[in-house]
Amino acid sequence: MTDLSTITLGSSTDPYNDAAARGWSITDASALSSPLELEADVVIVGTGAGGGTAAETLSATGLSVVLLEAGPLKTSSKFDMQERAAYRDLYQEGTGRGTKDGGMVILQGRSVGGSTTVNWTTSFRTPPETLKFWAEHMGVSGCSVEEMEPFFEHMENRLNIHEWPEAPNPNNAMLQRAAEKLGYSWAKIHRNVRGCLNLGYCGLGCPVDAKQSMLTTTIPAALNNKAKLVHHARVVRILREGDAVVGVEAEALTPNVRSTTGQRITIRATKTVLAGGAINTPAILLRSGAPDPHGRIGKRTFLHPTTLTMAIYDEAIDPFYGAPQSIYSDHFQWQGVHTGPINFKLEVPPLQPAFAAGFYSAAGEELTRSMDQLNKTQCMIALLRDGFHEQSQGGTVEIDDRGRPLLDYPLDDYLLEGVKRAWKVMVEMQFVTGAKSVRPAHKQARHYTSWKEAKEAMAALEIVPHKVTVGSAHVMGGCPMGDDEARSVTDCDGKFRHWDNLYVMDGSLFPTSIGANPQLSIYGLVYKLSSNLAAGFRA
Amino acid sequence: MSTGATLSGCTSGAPATGMKVLRPEDVELLRALIPAVMKGKITPDDSAAIDQTLESFDTLMDDLSDLVIEGVQQAFDVLSFGPTRALTTGQWASWSKASLEDAESALGRLRDSRIGLLNAIYAAMIRLIVSAWYLIPENAATAGYPGPPKKVADTRPSAGPIGGVAP
Repeated sequence: MTDLSTITLGSSTDPYNDAAARGWSITDASALSSPLELEADVVIVGTGAGGGTAAETLSATGLSVVLLEAGPLKTSSKFDMQERAAYRDLYQEGTGRGTKDGGMVILQGRSVGGSTTVNWTTSFRTPPETLKFWAEHMGVSGCSVEEMEPFFEHMENRLNIHEWPEAPNPNNAMLQRAAEKLGYSWAKIHRNVRGCLNLGYCGLGCPVDAKQSMLTTTIPAALNNKAKLVHHARVVRILREGDAVVGVEAEALTPNVRSTTGQRITIRATKTVLAGGAINTPAILLRSGAPDPHGRIGKRTFLHPTTLTMAIYDEAIDPFYGAPQSIYSDHFQWQGVHTGPINFKLEVPPLQPAFAAGFYSAAGEELTRSMDQLNKTQCMIALLRDGFHEQSQGGTVEIDDRGRPLLDYPLDDYLLEGVKRAWKVMVEMQFVTGAKSVRPAHKQARHYTSWKEAKEAMAALEIVPHKVTVGSAHVMGGCPMGDDEARSVTDCDGKFRHWDNLYVMDGSLFPTSIGANPQLSIYGLVYKLSSNLAAGFRA
Repeated sequence: MSTGATLSGCTSGAPATGMKVLRPEDVELLRALIPAVMKGKITPDDSAAIDQTLESFDTLMDDLSDLVIEGVQQAFDVLSFGPTRALTTGQWASWSKASLEDAESALGRLRDSRIGLLNAIYAAMIRLIVSAWYLIPENAATAGYPGPPKKVADTRPSAGPIGGVAP
């Protein structure tokens, strides 16, 4: 590809720069010098895929809405495509979030727009297999393919989700070429972009507002509808009068989002919507002492545990440039929906250097010599579809003695077998397309120079937590919806079962993982649930 | 300086001079580990490169959450506190006396250990050190990465305080 460092982007059309002229109400809670109290019809906790969608839907009907975001407001005019600032400003815990034992790194957004500000724009409807499994095994009603169709269609139109028409970058093209050689199915990815310049920096904040994230679409629309946005505001607990929820209490955070300033924020609202994502939403319920007679809150939290293999080719790949994800393969994804060994989706990630080095799982010359050839490096990832087989119960969100969330998700043998099997598939795919050497993400692995050598070496590697590298960018579940009171935290309208006026509207509603990148699943479901909630107000 | 300290004494340390988060013991440990983790890029006598990586590491730490910082500091403590240092890494003398070979041997022991906690400490250390090094733009260029596009400088005010405090 072209050397993109030689081009200069024009100034962005960042709508937030004209926030005052637009009459938008945006409060930086880190600057508060006295307590803040607001009242609204609806308070929404979180501004990601769930919160953003709910904010637009509810505010469009004339309801007054307050949106709370723990992270900062960072917008396109300040997105400079440098890794350090992006990881610091736009990710939970500065990309340091992990599972309790450190076995998996969790990449999750934390700024206005949530993970939609930093995701790679990959957009799949919830797979029919998943919706069918929910209906038949998880007690979910109202979410069949036919019933969800209008909601997905609406959000696809709203966010300009369409099949990416440009040629895939070489990193993605190699996945397509390998699938064709080995007879695996593959397809093009749909993306939520408008006027995309094919730069490849989706994960660091889109510098030109081409990504149709919540930051650039639904949140501006909600602000136009007189919604109020308060950022640097972390919700501590839910406020109640008896069994009726009446709002939330939050604490203001310092500009770097590490500590509290001591200022309190109280939002009193007729309805409260939790949309903090599948770690923070269960944590708010746990901090609030929410009733949980069947011990479901925070349980069955899923990650699509993801592992990778790195391959070095003779040709230029430039994996740091170009639309990050444009090709995928579901060849190994639906071999048994809920039976047999774990299935996985194949994709590729963008490889900016610090990100690539951090996931290489190597040190010394094994790392530095490999990284010297990053421009010739292709990376495959396998996303394991957790939560369907009875052996795959996921992890548990807990809070520590200071109320901070932790996800306990041990890598068990069922998952580790999938990691090993996925490596074999991906390493072979890389060798058949001409890779000079391939290395699976195992701390004791090396770059192997032939498929035969790799197969033998991988068979000898000890497949245990911490030695294998597994991460996640998709946190789901923990507050599952369903009709069976004993197995669900909310009903199928997202209403919390044990208190009035409280709703969950984010990926924590999913009773299993999705089996695909989850953003459109959240958009479609939350558009449905928030439309119902708005209709209930009018009734 | 950590040899006579207790484990709890280690964790309570204030940042080293010029550092935001890293404590004196952490700096001593990282000075030994950085040339081993970044072998091929940094030699043990290249104190300028080591200092630059330390500074980047410290900034990276400061960008994490308190919860993650506490976890990393506990890992540092295991590696710095004399008895656990010797037991887990085979490094009997203080890190200031460690050679490149000592550091490589220590990292190998953590990586290959059958104790998951030590594998986890190894994973965290190498991820942080390599990230700190490649987060420095001129180092990223050694990966054949020309860097991102440039942006026209935006002289308009940042979005932060606009809108003021909502009424």
